[in-house]
Amino acid sequence: MSYLLTGHRSVIPTQLLHESKSPSIGGLLCAPDKFLLHFPPFMPPAIHPVDLLHVLRHQRLTPAIVFLTSRRACDEAIACFEHRQNPIPPTRSAAITDVLDKMTAEYPSIANHPLIPTVQHYGVAAHHAGHLPSWKIAVEELMRQGCLDAVFATTTLAAGVDFPARTVVITQSSVRKDRDITELTVNEIQQLAGRGGRRGKDYVGFVVVTPSPYIDLGPIANGLTNHPEPIDSQFVVSYPMVLNLLKAHSIDHIQPILEKSFAQFQLNQRADAYETKLDDVETQLETYGQRECADWIAQWQSFSLAKKRRSHHRRKTQHDPPEISAQLAFLTPGRAVELSKDHAIVLRQYRSRGQGAPMLTVMRNGGRIIEYPASAVTAVIDEVIDVTESHRFPWCTPQSLNHAIETLEQFPARLRRLPIRVNQDGADNPVLTETLKDEFPCPTCPSRPACQKDHPQALKLRQEEHRLTKTIHAMRTELWHRFQQHVEVLQKFGYLTPACQLTSEGDWARLIRINHSLLITELIRMGAFEGITASLLAGVLASIAHDDDRPASFPGRHPALTSTLGQVRKVAHSLSAYEEPPLLRWDVAAIADRWIAEPALPWNELIRPTTMAEGDVYRLLARTLEYLSQVHGLKATHPGLAGVARDAMDLMRRDVLQELP
Amino acid sequence: MTNDELTQHLAGLPVSLLHRLAKNRVHRHFRMGKTRLIQSLLALSPGQRAEIETTLTSFLQEPPRSSKPDRPAKPNPQPDAPPRPAPPSRHHHVPTEPAIGTKALLEGLGVPPPRPFKPDDWQRDAIDRLTTTDVILSVPTGSGKTYVAIEAMRRAIEAERTVIYTSPLKALSNTKLTEFSQLFGADQVGILTGDRRDNPQAPILIMTTEILRNLLYDAASGEIDMRLDTLGLIILDESQFLADAERGVVWEETIIFAPAQSRLLLLSASIGNPDEIAAWINSIRSTSCHLIHHRNRSVPLRAAYLDPSGKLAPFFRARDIAHGKGFVLHPETKRLFANYEDRTLGPRYRR
Repeated sequence: MSYLLTGHRSVIPTQLLHESKSPSIGGLLCAPDKFLLHFPPFMPPAIHPVDLLHVLRHQRLTPAIVFLTSRRACDEAIACFEHRQNPIPPTRSAAITDVLDKMTAEYPSIANHPLIPTVQHYGVAAHHAGHLPSWKIAVEELMRQGCLDAVFATTTLAAGVDFPARTVVITQSSVRKDRDITELTVNEIQQLAGRGGRRGKDYVGFVVVTPSPYIDLGPIANGLTNHPEPIDSQFVVSYPMVLNLLKAHSIDHIQPILEKSFAQFQLNQRADAYETKLDDVETQLETYGQRECADWIAQWQSFSLAKKRRSHHRRKTQHDPPEISAQLAFLTPGRAVELSKDHAIVLRQYRSRGQGAPMLTVMRNGGRIIEYPASAVTAVIDEVIDVTESHRFPWCTPQSLNHAIETLEQFPARLRRLPIRVNQDGADNPVLTETLKDEFPCPTCPSRPACQKDHPQALKLRQEEHRLTKTIHAMRTELWHRFQQHVEVLQKFGYLTPACQLTSEGDWARLIRINHSLLITELIRMGAFEGITASLLAGVLASIAHDDDRPASFPGRHPALTSTLGQVRKVAHSLSAYEEPPLLRWDVAAIADRWIAEPALPWNELIRPTTMAEGDVYRLLARTLEYLSQVHGLKATHPGLAGVARDAMDLMRRDVLQELP
Repeated sequence: MTNDELTQHLAGLPVSLLHRLAKNRVHRHFRMGKTRLIQSLLALSPGQRAEIETTLTSFLQEPPRSSKPDRPAKPNPQPDAPPRPAPPSRHHHVPTEPAIGTKALLEGLGVPPPRPFKPDDWQRDAIDRLTTTDVILSVPTGSGKTYVAIEAMRRAIEAERTVIYTSPLKALSNTKLTEFSQLFGADQVGILTGDRRDNPQAPILIMTTEILRNLLYDAASGEIDMRLDTLGLIILDESQFLADAERGVVWEETIIFAPAQSRLLLLSASIGNPDEIAAWINSIRSTSCHLIHHRNRSVPLRAAYLDPSGKLAPFFRARDIAHGKGFVLHPETKRLFANYEDRTLGPRYRR
């Protein structure tokens, strides 16, 4: 259906262009190979590679670099060209053959590359990390000679594509990075687009955008026209860095060295911005002028805190309205009071259990004993009768109750009310303030009103000041702290003395300057590599070096390798607090192991049983070589192990791995 | 509501409202255009659809002026205040010139006649500066950074100094080895890798940045088998790798520990803050650091849109790509892409 819609003449489904990475289909992410054979029916169409090249040729936009989403997409795009009708003219084919022959003389591994017929007949090639470096060099050379019309490459390798073309074709605005789909940054899009237009060979270069499931025009247009993003330092402190710095410098000189880093430079710039803010805050604080005490904000703060704490202690009295608390002193047992309608005699004053509100138990006419909140009292009468209190209901002795009932009945209608002075300016409890006088100068201080007024704002500023100071300090010393953390770990493991000098162990350990250095040096120290064979050593180092979790398989498992890797995994796990453990995949270990264990094994035989791309296997072995050479660097202290590493390197460097330095 | 009614109502709404309706209901709704949004809203489950219909009726009952209902109403501007200028809109400013056609876009294609190479002013400037200062080159890809590197190498060799050239990738090292060997002769160029040294006494040494960092560490601890004292020039290619999450630190270490007597030449693609890097290098090295930074491509670049049907249209309204001034997509491209999005919403592709 998609072909009908798009008016395609092609028979091959257009979806071939794209390896499906639709996040909605979980299975595709795990095992793309299995699912891709069924063309997912929900993929939108994209232009067919053959049609694309046709248009580009027709508009004289070749040679072109076509950036696709995945290696598979590149390979499939090339596969589309096989058995097509119109090959390139024979003279051009001959030119390609010439160049390829020349390259083959230098790099024999190109000779039988399966893509050669397509390249010769149609003038197109694929160029991605799954290929051997020699093939990539050949494609680049062909491109430089102007023999090719199009190269299909992956976006991820944009930095490694070092050849220009007239046209760059962009088919996507997002890429998959670490199992996540992210949009291309401005830097990345300009890196892609930058390959368009060859100096001296073109008047103009072109960027051709063609839609695919992974495209949105906005980010691309933005990337083509906008300013690139600024870059930030990615400085990390590593164990080899610490050891090497401490070898050459004493610990006292380290801090100035760290301060020379771009990381610190950028941190300083940010810190400077904060400093300006801090200055601003400090000027604002200065506007409050001099007060009686040196640090009035802190003084007032502790004073008001103390007030609060004390008042908390006496919460019950504090929360009463002033007129009630003024009354309370008079509402003692035996006091006559006026309620809304008539008079009553107070028998008891207490606090309610829940809210702590002041409550009264009163006796009203006819001896009714009723409980009221203190606020029910409308007036206090200047009359107290003798009441003997008791602890239980009715809160006084029966005799005095009788006496009270009698007195109440004899009360005239009007009685003299007691005038009660209410302390209106009672924001501060005068009693409380009085008690704090000994501890704080504030209650009697002349600048007290000013302090009280300014304090909330000033306190905010002071807190901001503290926060900024702290942040600035953290920025200035962050790297140094990270360095010290690493120093502590190295001291714990005995690579450094307490005085931060290298121990004899540290002296050789600093030569291992690769990822997972702590794991490797610990393995060497605990003798895990004693009596190891060259192939096994290469296998272990390969599994430490390989950090790609692209699925692969290799039928080469044998017990020695499995048990050694098991040990390494245990050690790596025990070190996981100090160093991120490597993946330690046994399949990649088995590949390196087999390549060395069978010195007569040809490259093709090594590649055949694995699902890994040969470019990946090449990179794996090249990285293993690097790790081996680091181990070989320990020849002064570990001659035996270094010798094994040397053997492994010699055995490894053959066939394809011999071709390039 | 029937499908048709709902579609009609939805089509009458501004896109921002549609996005509000689709929020938390449609996956990646922010990537969709209007048509596509409506389609995916129609495809929702009955429960969600009922919710949408209720919200929709509330939208429809609201007075039409509240096109941004989620924002609080603005207070009336002061009557005597001058009218605020309209905010510069990046995507939709009124184009003054007519959009160009495809023919005009493809005009002037071709191969220029060979003419003697003449270095640009900035290239000469960079080479001259390198005798006294460190230089950072941040220019677009393909505008001739390598020429500067080669000329600087030539001068260093004439002055009997050695040169170290580092690249982030081994693959690039190999390409450069071939290129420099052709220019200077195979005996003049050596390469150092982790386990191999080819011609390490040559005046030009190619290596990855990690190897140089290791050399500098060895030199610092006094066990050096390389003659760093005659080192006159260090060229760091692709130095935007400084921002690489894993390996960026190596570039920092290299620049910090680079010997004081040798010049640094940093070649970098366009980055946002080359001035910051120049200021940094200036602050830590005894020599000053000169920044050469421009965005002019030696070969101008144009953009086109290619529809899957094979139709080619200009990507932008204007012919050449303008930097930092916003963009306006070509109307034809907009139309074609909208069609493409519509088509890809066919029943076949919907999930």
